[in-house]
Amino acid sequence: MSDVLSDAGSDSNHDDSQEDVMTPAELIAKLEEAWLNEKFSPELLENKSEVVECVMEQLTHMEANLQRVKKGDAKASVHRMEIDRIRFVLSSYLRSRLQKIEKFFPHVLEREKSRGEGEPSLLSPEEFAFAKEYLANTETYLKAVALKRMPPNLQTVDMLKAVPEPCLDSFVFLRVKERQENILVEPETDDQREYVVDLEEGSQHLMRYRTIAPLVSSGAVQLI
Amino acid sequence: MDPSEVEFLAEKETVKIIPNFSLDKIYLIGGDLGPFNPGLPVDVPLWLALNLKQRQKCRIIPPEWMDVEKLEEMRELERKEEAFTPVPSPFYMELTKLLLNHASDNIPKADEIRTLVKDVWDTRIAKLRLSADSFISQQEAHAKLDNLTLMEINTIREFLLDSLNCMYKLRSNLQPGSSKGQYVDF
Repeated sequence: MSDVLSDAGSDSNHDDSQEDVMTPAELIAKLEEAWLNEKFSPELLENKSEVVECVMEQLTHMEANLQRVKKGDAKASVHRMEIDRIRFVLSSYLRSRLQKIEKFFPHVLEREKSRGEGEPSLLSPEEFAFAKEYLANTETYLKAVALKRMPPNLQTVDMLKAVPEPCLDSFVFLRVKERQENILVEPETDDQREYVVDLEEGSQHLMRYRTIAPLVSSGAVQLI
Repeated sequence: MDPSEVEFLAEKETVKIIPNFSLDKIYLIGGDLGPFNPGLPVDVPLWLALNLKQRQKCRIIPPEWMDVEKLEEMRELERKEEAFTPVPSPFYMELTKLLLNHASDNIPKADEIRTLVKDVWDTRIAKLRLSADSFISQQEAHAKLDNLTLMEINTIREFLLDSLNCMYKLRSNLQPGSSKGQYVDF
């Protein structure tokens, strides 16, 4: 029975060989990074469906192995605890994305529409379907409850104007993973001047999201 | 972020335990653990250490810095310096709380340690409030926050960020013709 569990570890090392070589531990670290970034960024970030899929694969694989283990095995309970922890991060990550989609759906769909051919998609196919359906449902609801009783010239609502945009000017806390030079800090008031800062590796900062948004998607900084 | 989520992250830190059972290596997704032999110290993540401790299967060895003398030094330094001093662990507060709540019998002078860490924490939070205050009154656009831990940032996060957003909204509404006023914070 312990063989089953030993297999689980060595097997899973080969599982993601179709991707760049990444150990399961690195994969989990990637998921946690994505989780924190998504939690703290004011806008919806690019989807990480590769990471999500790989983690799902690892979890199902491990769970399948656990099925074959007898009850009361000491190792199995440790494995279950680890699975629960990973599952928590995964669901929290996906949930915070869904919350943002619900909050900003017209803008999210708009960005998806204006996306160029080669650019990576903001939403996973499932999230895209969710956003579209959410938009349709909201429109139907507004129509049924209020709009159809309005005078004819007031019966349309422009969702893009009705739903607030994500506020990219909000402040975020971040930790630097790769050294960056000459980051421009815009002044708060008119009588201040703009200036540049260097972000040293490992240092932590508080600044506007707009300034460092590209660094979040490139992975050079981590939101905390 | 909920404090319990910061605690969740802290539970990934490794601690040394002395198990009283034997078990082969465990191949977890996040890395290998063990093997476990009675009486031999082994590194495990805190979540497992606490679980084993609750089932009375191990003794936890407190981290090196969790020591009255070292903490006293740290407290003095923290009070003397104006800036934040480096902390021994990025999760010092959470580790102290978790270990003292669940394994206080394995930690010598647990009560003194609790008070010392609380003192350090209070001093740091007071500094944090002061610097947040000057950040806002000087209308800064960038601040460096080295040596702050996630839990410390988290205690001030919502309040500080929401206030900054509100002030931003008020300011941008003052300038006529700016469209920024309609932004709503997330």
